[in-house]
Amino acid sequence: MRNRLLGRLAVATAAAVVWSAVVVSTQAPAGQAPPGPGGGRGRGAAAPTEPTPRLADGTVNLGRVVGEKGVWNVPYITNMGMRLVGADGQPLAPQAGGGRRGGAAPAAEGRGAAAAGAPLGGGEGAAGGGRGGAKSEPWVPFQPWAAAVYDYNSKNQSKYDPEGYCLPPGGPRMMATPYPAEIIQLPEQKRVIMIFEGATHIWREISMDGREHPKGDALNPTYLGHSVGHWEGDTLVVDVVGFNEATWLDYFGHPHTDQLHVVERFSRPNKGTLHYEALIDDPGAYTRPFTVAWDIPWRANGELTEYICQENNKYLQRLTDDFGQPIFGKK
Amino acid sequence: MRTKFAGLVATIAVLAAGVPMIAHHSFAAEFDATKAVKLTGAVTKIEWLNPHTYFYMDVTEICQGTPAPQGQETAWKCSPADKSKAPNWGLEMGSPNGLMRQGWTRNSMKIGDVVTVEGSAAKDGSSIGNARTVMIGGKRLFAGSSQTTNP
Repeated sequence: MRNRLLGRLAVATAAAVVWSAVVVSTQAPAGQAPPGPGGGRGRGAAAPTEPTPRLADGTVNLGRVVGEKGVWNVPYITNMGMRLVGADGQPLAPQAGGGRRGGAAPAAEGRGAAAAGAPLGGGEGAAGGGRGGAKSEPWVPFQPWAAAVYDYNSKNQSKYDPEGYCLPPGGPRMMATPYPAEIIQLPEQKRVIMIFEGATHIWREISMDGREHPKGDALNPTYLGHSVGHWEGDTLVVDVVGFNEATWLDYFGHPHTDQLHVVERFSRPNKGTLHYEALIDDPGAYTRPFTVAWDIPWRANGELTEYICQENNKYLQRLTDDFGQPIFGKK
Repeated sequence: MRTKFAGLVATIAVLAAGVPMIAHHSFAAEFDATKAVKLTGAVTKIEWLNPHTYFYMDVTEICQGTPAPQGQETAWKCSPADKSKAPNWGLEMGSPNGLMRQGWTRNSMKIGDVVTVEGSAAKDGSSIGNARTVMIGGKRLFAGSSQTTNP
């Protein structure tokens, strides 16, 4: 089953190259589709003025305060390409018309998503709706093959998105898959645990004991990679390597290779906000490193619930390949 | 109270936006957001399962329309269902956890309930749709998945 999937993906990828070579994008931008719902995402959010909670030793608390509920209300970053920021933290993607959701200031995204109805050419906002044939964004430093794969994923409406197969996200997409998440600090054990309700009920463990990444064959490529972290002032910095190539960077299908190296920076400027930044360094797919950033609101009354994606995935049963043949369903 | 209000705002925003949020898989690969449908009929089967709750209904009336811009009513063209053409439709909704955050329970909908569903039809013309709202017993429930409530 797995081999078959990989085989299909290989065929799809091969087709991608051919496809991108012959197809000139004539599709209209994704503008016809209104931006996605997101209104009220601040539901139960702590007031931004509430101060950053801290542990007894003064370390920033990225999780719950004792005796309270709360989860991080991870937003749906459909297109990581729209979240690139420059060294100044300002978005690199065009912000014309105010329609594109503010790259580095997604705190407004929840409230403004429905209102900010301007067309989002090739950007996010279709919210799982029409991908609209997004072209490779010129501000994303694609290698040619990566641009071709991205365009291919765009042309076919992201139908092969691994998350649609109930496979986990990897890298920054963990913080962009719209199910709640918790960050649990265990300073006495020198580790941080992150639990994700969504995608496939995944968790990550971030070693805080100063260890290094495994080297050579000891580093086995995985979906989530190998994470080591340390504090830089009030920012948790996590270095991740050892990714496999089975994930996309986002729903829109930005690819990556197993050379992917991510440096994440988590900070909590106030109780209601987790600021997330990720340096994406993948010399296998991009010509230079780039940084994406967004804010994640706190849902003060939230708790994690069960979500087992693999249970009854009819999408997969109906999914057909580029030649109209069922991929998993009955032939 | 505040939560309820926020939820209402979210629901309205979602209804206005017109395109349902599906985080789990590509909406556009399967459904056509421009093919709005309104279906009325009795529920025949419910699958309260992940990643999407499905229910099936014997459709007695099918209305078709083009999604209206924000703030406007969709103009529906309705006709009785053609009984020879598989009047049993399958409708996709959000995941159970997402629906519960919207106020659903596993008993909100029962087999035999006559419901009216608004949503999007499948691209391939099959009797499959993505439900955005479901009217059950005069009560309108948001059936999809939003960023707030998680698909």
